[in-house]
Amino acid sequence: MAKSRTEQCELDMTPMIDVVFQLIIFFVVTLKMTTDENKEIILENGKNGVIITPKNRPPSTLEIEIDKRGMISIHNARMNQDQLATILRNRVNKLGNQFPVLIRADFRTKHEQVKKVMDICTQRGIWKLSFVAIQEKKAN
Amino acid sequence: MAYKRRNNKGESPKLDMTPMIDVVFQLLIFFVVTLKQEDILSKLSAARPAPDPNAKPDQQPDPTTIIVYDQGFLFNGLPMRIDELDRQMARVSRSSKTAMVLVKCTMSSPHKFLVQALDVCNKHGLQNLSILTM
Repeated sequence: MAKSRTEQCELDMTPMIDVVFQLIIFFVVTLKMTTDENKEIILENGKNGVIITPKNRPPSTLEIEIDKRGMISIHNARMNQDQLATILRNRVNKLGNQFPVLIRADFRTKHEQVKKVMDICTQRGIWKLSFVAIQEKKAN
Repeated sequence: MAYKRRNNKGESPKLDMTPMIDVVFQLLIFFVVTLKQEDILSKLSAARPAPDPNAKPDQQPDPTTIIVYDQGFLFNGLPMRIDELDRQMARVSRSSKTAMVLVKCTMSSPHKFLVQALDVCNKHGLQNLSILTM
């Protein structure tokens, strides 16, 4: 006669925990907690531009933001034209005038405001400028 | 002191996983909720024409000129929409990919029109782009 056992059937949790940990590690690695760009700026679409990747965006790249009112900022830190000119002068003295300059301007910004930034760049010998646009929209 | 003999049946002590699984799920839900996909960005390059002291104005060929104003675009003096400008730039690129395209912007023109004009030029492989302000 077989022995009667009262043991409960247990679910093996190990694979689920493995998967959940993998997901958590993925999210932790891809999480960007602090924003260092002006989120008020809405960019125009530019499907045919060169996609910005870490390869073609070296660390020496200077990204200048211009919001719809023409306020200038770098990494979301506002500044006036004189401060921008000082930053550019210091950079040119340190790195030369070959570092890439990206202008991230709102689609509503008047060209007059963009021109002010372009003029400051050209005064320091930076003739080639790039404008940031949206290649593919992902965010809501 | 008397020890109570434990009824050892060879079973290993079990760790209660429930609190850990609770915390891990809380973390997972937090990350899923806060996840935001970033837009893919592109860059449209153009140059500000540097003054060339050796260049004589009469030696330079007439560049293709797009005028960007607050209502849209002018090409050869004619106002046109972006799709019409697209066709014109396709025609320019067929004759020469290295043709210089001058984008002249008025002070009051919105930045989006400049970006659209540069985008259309990039679409047709026109890379020799310059921006001027009127």
